[in-house]
Amino acid sequence: MKKISLNEDWLAVIIAFALLLLALVGAISPDWTKF
Amino acid sequence: MSVEIKPSSPRSILLGPITGFILVVGLAFLAHWIKLRVYDTQLPFGIPGKVLEYPLWAALIGLLANLVLRLFKAHGRLRGGFRTEFFLKIGLVLLGATISFKTIATAAGGAVLQALVLIAAVYLFAWWLGGKFGLSDTLRAVMASALSICGVSAAIAAAGAVHAKKQEITYITALVILVALPMMVLMPILAHWMGLSGAVAGAWFGGNVDTTAAVVGAGKIYGAEAETIATIVKSTQNAFIGVVAFFLALYFTTVVEGKENRKPSAAVIWQRFPKFVIGFILASILFSVGLIPAAAKAAPFNAGNVIAAMKDWAFCLAFVSMGLTISFSDLKQMGWKPVAVYLIVTAFNTVLALGAAWLIFGLLFPA
Repeated sequence: MKKISLNEDWLAVIIAFALLLLALVGAISPDWTKF
Repeated sequence: MSVEIKPSSPRSILLGPITGFILVVGLAFLAHWIKLRVYDTQLPFGIPGKVLEYPLWAALIGLLANLVLRLFKAHGRLRGGFRTEFFLKIGLVLLGATISFKTIATAAGGAVLQALVLIAAVYLFAWWLGGKFGLSDTLRAVMASALSICGVSAAIAAAGAVHAKKQEITYITALVILVALPMMVLMPILAHWMGLSGAVAGAWFGGNVDTTAAVVGAGKIYGAEAETIATIVKSTQNAFIGVVAFFLALYFTTVVEGKENRKPSAAVIWQRFPKFVIGFILASILFSVGLIPAAAKAAPFNAGNVIAAMKDWAFCLAFVSMGLTISFSDLKQMGWKPVAVYLIVTAFNTVLALGAAWLIFGLLFPA
């Protein structure tokens, strides 16, 4: 079986896009993230 | 009598980094809380209160926690959770989702030109000066890469290419953060004093401050335009890591080690390429073609504000981690010579980057 490796850069990109998606579907309230 | 040593369970291996991560999050909340309370304070000598932005508090709180953890010998167990580069990359991709691709494309010409000039000049000067001070070839290769490209990640890439000692990497890493922290605060003050535009100031920070986290911090302190241009300029420099690592590996195997038959593969250019830059550009394209703004409009909440806030939280985690990872003991081991070389080259870089930023982003490619 081919070993799949994921480096830090790709993981950061995946997490960032997941957060983007969650924000765009309205799953994250501005009240939780207010900076 | 025999003593049985039980191997660490996966649970105990993960406990340290997870606890470290929770600590980083807690300290980021503390930095945010302090920022809200002192943001409008006016400093002496007309220094704008915006200098007291969250990057400074986050880094200082991280530094204090670092000292306390080392005092109680808990730092080693938790440091797996202090992921400066990782948090920073998440923030940079989110930042891409708020920047028009046109801005990136417009700034890219100037950014590439500036990166080529600065990387070549600063690298060669650092290499030459390191030689004059009698530093080892591996140490000056790692130092020159950190100074000319992008601090910690360039140092690690260069160390891999030239087979530097682990001690040399930790030393340069400590030096990079120790110098970048005050520069993150001082450079926006100097830029404000010189009346630089956001674009020129951002290009100056991106071309001079060594670590990407501090570049973003300095840009954030100066303003939105400076933050954008600083990020584009620094990301462009980041993109050259692979090329420099390839040529370093080539030089060290063929010239320093004299192994003509063991030339490195050009694949190293892609292996070392910072992949988050692709995520940053992709997010910007999605924003520019209207996908992100349209989806944000249709969302039940103001998604644009949520994305911008998440970006700031990710950066805040990165700044806390930066303060937490600095090691003063690593600095003591190498003596004064590398510190002197590093500081002289930083001064040279500061002046050269100011001239280049003013010429390229002020005259040739004005925003």
